[in-house]
Amino acid sequence: MQTPPLISIIDDDESMRCAVKSLVTSLGLNARTFASAEEFLRSSQVEHTSCLITDLQMPGLNGVELQKMLLAQDRHIPIIFMTAFPEERLRTRAIEAGALGFLSKPFESQMLINLIEKAIEISRKE
Amino acid sequence: MNLRALAQNISSDPQADTATPGATGVLNEQEILLSALPPSRAQKRLTLAIVLALLAAFLATLPFAGMPLGYTREFIPAYAAAMFVIFLITSSLLFVQFSIVRSRALLAISGGYLFSTLMTIPWALTFPDLFEQTDMASTTWGLLSTLWHVGFPLFVIAYTLLKDAGPATRPLHRSLSFAVVSSAAGVVIVDVLVFLVTAANETMPSTLAIFERSYIYWNSLLLLAFLALALLWARRHSVLDLWLMVVMCGFLIELCLIFLVGRRYVVGWYAARVYFLISSTLVLAILLSETALLYRRLARSVMAQRQEREARLMTMDVLSAAIAHEMNQPLASIVTNVDAATRWMGRPTPDLGEVKASLEQIRNSAYRARDLIGSIRAMVKKDDRNRAPLDLNELVREVLALMERELQRKAISVELALEEHLPFTKGDRLQLQQVLTNLITNAIDAMAENKRPRILRIKSAIQEPGGVLISVADTGKGIDPATVDRIFNPLFTTKSDGMGMGLAISRSIIEGHDGRLWATANADRGSVFQFVLPGNISA
Repeated sequence: MQTPPLISIIDDDESMRCAVKSLVTSLGLNARTFASAEEFLRSSQVEHTSCLITDLQMPGLNGVELQKMLLAQDRHIPIIFMTAFPEERLRTRAIEAGALGFLSKPFESQMLINLIEKAIEISRKE
Repeated sequence: MNLRALAQNISSDPQADTATPGATGVLNEQEILLSALPPSRAQKRLTLAIVLALLAAFLATLPFAGMPLGYTREFIPAYAAAMFVIFLITSSLLFVQFSIVRSRALLAISGGYLFSTLMTIPWALTFPDLFEQTDMASTTWGLLSTLWHVGFPLFVIAYTLLKDAGPATRPLHRSLSFAVVSSAAGVVIVDVLVFLVTAANETMPSTLAIFERSYIYWNSLLLLAFLALALLWARRHSVLDLWLMVVMCGFLIELCLIFLVGRRYVVGWYAARVYFLISSTLVLAILLSETALLYRRLARSVMAQRQEREARLMTMDVLSAAIAHEMNQPLASIVTNVDAATRWMGRPTPDLGEVKASLEQIRNSAYRARDLIGSIRAMVKKDDRNRAPLDLNELVREVLALMERELQRKAISVELALEEHLPFTKGDRLQLQQVLTNLITNAIDAMAENKRPRILRIKSAIQEPGGVLISVADTGKGIDPATVDRIFNPLFTTKSDGMGMGLAISRSIIEGHDGRLWATANADRGSVFQFVLPGNISA
């Protein structure tokens, strides 16, 4: 049996991190959580991640900077951004850089689930 | 959780930063530059005292000027080394000033000092009794002295004549490369001059030697120095002019003494050097201390700016954004946990462990939201630790200065009627600043669509018994009588992008200060917001 796709979740807010992880595992997927972009970049999960769900405003590297770094390393992981402080400028920038989705907290879980499914499909094709 | 810190975090995020830097707290050019800074009374007095002391010393030396003191081998090298360092530092200090304003006058005077620095070397090396004792060397040394005595006043004159002209219009090169190039040019020019003097001296030594001893020669040198001093006096208006006058006085005294004694190694000859050294050292010391003072003033201004910026960042926009951000976090966690728990329950075999974990998370998030609301309340609650006697007039001026740009942009004229003898009040500066900022922001917004004159009237008055009243009136759209009772309620807003927290928080702050905040309709349309705070606290 094939191992289920890995979803990486980055959020400096612990409760949010756990909530998203719980939702993702309830879908039968693998989930790993990270408290910061740096922690994610240091880990070995970067190569195996099929979909990255990340908060936008974080201490240290923020979501858009992380996206830029991954692109610079030629890692085209589908990224879903979450933010509690939606700003049109950041949204446009993230989408232009190829983000899969942009969710304003609090968001409907079904929207996140749809985006995750889309991401897995993209990863599978590659 | 500290909301104030949070709001600052959000605003200091460069991508979310919408605040403009404070308009006040910035020093203008006059306060930064010695060449533009008008001298204070104390500085004028100090200069006068130094000049008088130099003169007195000069007069006191005269009776003994001709007394021989004997040859001290170390004197000239030591003197030259000291002058070299003094000239060099003075030149660099002045060059820094030039690199800020690009004034040709400052370049001239900085160049004058560089010229002096460079002249010191050949001057010391050709000093007759140091290395060789020939008449020719003696004349070369004399000529280099002359060259410097002509050159330096010329630079001072150039400075005086150029200083009222505007800054260089043509953009100059970067300061550093410019400094390197001009220093190199200075070295070359001085080298060429030294070469010419030596060459001329070799071809016609006697002519030059005779010329050096003539009265015409001395008189023209003195005349030139006097001219420089007179020009400085006539066009004096900055600290730098004042201190250059001291240098020129020392310069003149030196010339006079050398001229009067006409011989080496007598009291007058040594005294001439010592006086000039003293005046140059004094001026350098003062330049240094002025620079240090300016640095302190700049550092303070930068800090004040930062404080103002922080205060400004606490406007309601930012605060409500901070609240929204912090509230959305637990809300999002609750929503997602509910959905996750639902999914775990809906499985063919429900995973109750996961459901329980989600429910615990939900409870924690709800507590977090509760704590957040508590911290908002605590923020406007009475906290005596931050309270200090305040001059509300000063606070009004500060806030107006901070909002100056905004007011200008919206073409709003400000009318101030501040009671001069306003008693002090005790309060939290940041909180009261926030209230004033809110009221003024509201007034600006209310006048946004005005066809009529946009006037912001701010008044302060004594309110008996012992209270201080501030009123902020606008000529805007006014308050709908139907809603006047509700405007202070949280979440009541007439603005499309507002949260309706501004007036509610403002009222909480004022009431937390044992004061009152209320609104009335303005006599000539518009609205008036007024608050009273307890006064009679002596400063």
